[in-house]
Amino acid sequence: MSKKKSKGKQKQEAAQIPPGSPPTASGAVSGADQGAAALGALVAECAGQGLAVVDYGVMHEGLGNPPPAEHRKLRQNGQIIEHYARDMTVRVAAGAEWGAVQRAMLATGQFVPVDADDDVTVGEAIVHNVYGPLRLGYGGMRDLLLGLHYVDGLGRDIHVGGRTVKNVAGYDVTKLMVGSLGELGVVYEATLRTYAVPEQVIAVDLKLADPVQVDGFVNPLLVSDAAPTWLWMSLHGRAWRLRLAYYGRHSACAAQVRSLETILDGQEDIGMQGSARTTLAQDAAERAAHRRWQRQAPAVVKLVVPPAETGAVCAALASSRDHDPPLCLDALPAHGCIMTGGSLDGAQALRLEARVTRILENFGGLRVWYARPRGAESIRPFGPRQADWPMLVKLKQAMDPKNILNPGRFLSPELLTT
Amino acid sequence: MGSYHAQAMANVQAALQELRQIVGKDGVLDQPEELLVYECDGFSVARATPTAVVFPRRTEQVAACVGALNRHGLGMVPRGSGTGLAGGCVAFAGEVLISTVRMNQIETIDWGNRVAVVQAGVLNTALSEAVARGGMVVADATPSPGLSLREGEGSKTSSTSGGASGGGLHFSPDPSSQRASTIGGNAATNAGGINTLKHGVTSNHILGMEMVLADGSIMRTRAGSLLDGIGPDLPGLVCGSEGTLGIITRLWCRLVPKPRHFRTIYAVYGSTGQACLTVSDVIAAGIVPTSMEMMDGRMIRVVEEAFHYGFPTDAQALLLIEVDGVDQILDEQVGQILELCRKHGATDVQHCADAKRRLELWSARKRAFGAIGRLHVAYFTQDACVPRSLLPVAIERICQIGRDFGLQINNVFHAGDGNVHPIFFFDESDPAQAQAALRAAEKALEYCISIGGTITGEHGVGVEKLAMMEHMFNPDTIRAFQAIKGAFDPQERINVGKLIPSDKIRVQLVKPLAANVPGGAL
Ligand SMILES: Cc1cc2nc3c(=O)[nH]c(=O)nc-3n(C[C@H](O)[C@H](O)[C@H](O)COP(=O)(O)OP(=O)(O)OC[C@H]3O[C@@H](n4cnc5c(N)ncnc54)[C@H](O)[C@@H]3O)c2cc1C
Repeated sequence: MSKKKSKGKQKQEAAQIPPGSPPTASGAVSGADQGAAALGALVAECAGQGLAVVDYGVMHEGLGNPPPAEHRKLRQNGQIIEHYARDMTVRVAAGAEWGAVQRAMLATGQFVPVDADDDVTVGEAIVHNVYGPLRLGYGGMRDLLLGLHYVDGLGRDIHVGGRTVKNVAGYDVTKLMVGSLGELGVVYEATLRTYAVPEQVIAVDLKLADPVQVDGFVNPLLVSDAAPTWLWMSLHGRAWRLRLAYYGRHSACAAQVRSLETILDGQEDIGMQGSARTTLAQDAAERAAHRRWQRQAPAVVKLVVPPAETGAVCAALASSRDHDPPLCLDALPAHGCIMTGGSLDGAQALRLEARVTRILENFGGLRVWYARPRGAESIRPFGPRQADWPMLVKLKQAMDPKNILNPGRFLSPELLTT
Repeated sequence: MGSYHAQAMANVQAALQELRQIVGKDGVLDQPEELLVYECDGFSVARATPTAVVFPRRTEQVAACVGALNRHGLGMVPRGSGTGLAGGCVAFAGEVLISTVRMNQIETIDWGNRVAVVQAGVLNTALSEAVARGGMVVADATPSPGLSLREGEGSKTSSTSGGASGGGLHFSPDPSSQRASTIGGNAATNAGGINTLKHGVTSNHILGMEMVLADGSIMRTRAGSLLDGIGPDLPGLVCGSEGTLGIITRLWCRLVPKPRHFRTIYAVYGSTGQACLTVSDVIAAGIVPTSMEMMDGRMIRVVEEAFHYGFPTDAQALLLIEVDGVDQILDEQVGQILELCRKHGATDVQHCADAKRRLELWSARKRAFGAIGRLHVAYFTQDACVPRSLLPVAIERICQIGRDFGLQINNVFHAGDGNVHPIFFFDESDPAQAQAALRAAEKALEYCISIGGTITGEHGVGVEKLAMMEHMFNPDTIRAFQAIKGAFDPQERINVGKLIPSDKIRVQLVKPLAANVPGGAL
């Protein structure tokens, strides 16, 4: 499937849902919400007609099977609805873009620690479980998301979780929606944890001769005083680069860098190359710029492998004798997450898929294709088959009985027959 | 009628016979005297005798038991240690309890991937102790399920890979019941604890699980040692589902770096309001302590009378705050917190880095419920959670509700999380007062909901709070929950009538009149 796939025959113009209710002065959750009602009515109408409601997001358009030709494309917009600054939480419309949310938050001295691109909406980040290096220090979306207001496949208005940081009333559907690819409900609003903007960021560059070395380095690092806020490895041409950063007060960062130097003293293959003091905004912008290839490349695949094998898997990926263009590669060694791909044509992507399959057979793990170039449509987007897929398909049937929310993208009975 | 009864009895006997074949004779209890201790959990208001209790040792045995019970039309209720505080593991409709206590094997400690694979009946502290002992090698029986597709193979990522020492890791969830409660129970209730404020609740530390579904099939959620799966986050849903979606038999638990440096702060106040304002200001300052616990004046006196820690008995509130992290910066953080304590009128503020004093202070907190037990009065504990900025008003309102009903309320709670645990005392010989206590507790919950809070922060709904679910959620959300239950358990066989209302089983709670109600702890 081409990344620039046909948009299909759209039955109507993109349906625009008004943003969430305006901020209220009291700080209490506001009452009746016109926007949610409009969204519910739209979904209910489509459910009545059996018409697909499609929202693949801006960054994840190539992820999963394409939507049916006839569908109604959904686009939400919005903004921060309420920032409970003293609670360190924020309630935000799903249609709000991360860039705008973060800018508004930064002005208050807080931020939501999610590595999402500026134009990705909050809803898209939730249903695609967007994360990056910051997951090490702050947790992933499942850890940050406290409450959700969404509309199910029948247009019903569902509120789960809320504004408190602990909540065990009812099923934790907030977590289920993380990574649901928009197939279980349309997120309308979310409440997320916020954190204080660190006084400073110190980013440290490490030289890394061989990616495999990272596998023995991560655990001792994490249990030391030099445990970083984020850790990230990448391949530049043929050179590996390991970067990490400390967020916090000046004195804390300085103490951590000293601890790091002590750890590195005994290392032969990993050494400090330099460090730079920066701000949270600059740090986020730099990492966003670095990962831009993931949005532009025609072939992008994410691997998730046992964390302790991240370096070994990276080495195996890079050691191809296929004479294909060099791979772009970003990895989170503490999480076993690797994004790779690049300017590959269909045949080259198929060869990469074959290599990925062999690697996963050897090391264990799974992979998801974010973008497949023309000529590589036969690559199955998700694999290998996971043991919980039959239950996920049942949940899809329970939460979207008319199968109208991003139908066929991932969860369908056919998934189980392949 | 008589023959119907005889038939039903014969059916039960046949089921028990099958269960004995699966787990052995000593794995099934069905004599009335044996069943007595299984009549309730920590919420002893709600009692019922199960038909039997079965003790499987392996997932396959659980699956076989579920199959047998299905064939005989008997319902089932999963049970860990029975320390729950909401009546969640009680068999109100004569179901069979499936106990996990014999499923107590720590199967794998995979240092490299920082994950432990345990059977559901492993006690919370047993895992942390095993991790602290170190050295355990990856078992060959359980594939690390990141590698779950290679069934039967041992984990490749053995202890030798990725930094083998294992030193410095632990399993973080720390409910006060951790010596007694099972990890399966912790996951099923999504238990919190004192360190939740910084380090998260149980679901933040469960990567994957294996469970037996209502039809007897075995399912593995997501991808175990992998930190990410494909599609919706199923373990996240099962955590906190209170045994209503299936029986968890095995869990993949995240091991995280164990904090090594601490500072503990102790601050005494002349009013609860001032202490609550301190909590709210610490959070608003963006500081994330490991824990921030509070006792009100009454509670301080109860603890002091019982254990003599030397707390001032004229104080109206005590805050225990702990920070962990990089040693060099802790004093700076302590300085910030002390400033806030003083700003809000703390009359005595102390801090220590001394391990012995730290243990002593925390033992005072952890023994609070033991101290109440010594009073020999009837009480029960509520559990609600409010936005942290609203803690001062919430505590004030809850105390006012107590006064309105003529009741004594003590407070000892996870202040940093906004997780309140008012303890309602009542005279058990006075039925009107017992009812007043229940009514007051309900009012307190209604108030918490009205300010954006929730009816339970960590103890769960069980049967205790079932009636409050309709206050908390709109009808569509309740229907959504029922649809989820239907996907897992369409015939309503497992733990029915808990967490969400069911037409099949409606539990009428016996009100606490006669008994001294050991209403649990926190
Ligand atoms: C003194 C005391 C202190 C406490 N402190 C805390 C605290 O700090 N924080 C806190 O959150 N709670 C606390 N609790 C409550 C209780 O300990 C927790 O809810 C605990 O997680 C329950 O574990 P358990 O093994 O006893 O489960 P049980 O009580 O046996 O069961 C609890 C629920 O989980 C289900 N369940 C149990 N095992 C399984 C399984 N394997 N599969 C599926 N479902 C299962 C049951 O059906 C039931 O609904 C405390 C209780 C006491 C008595």
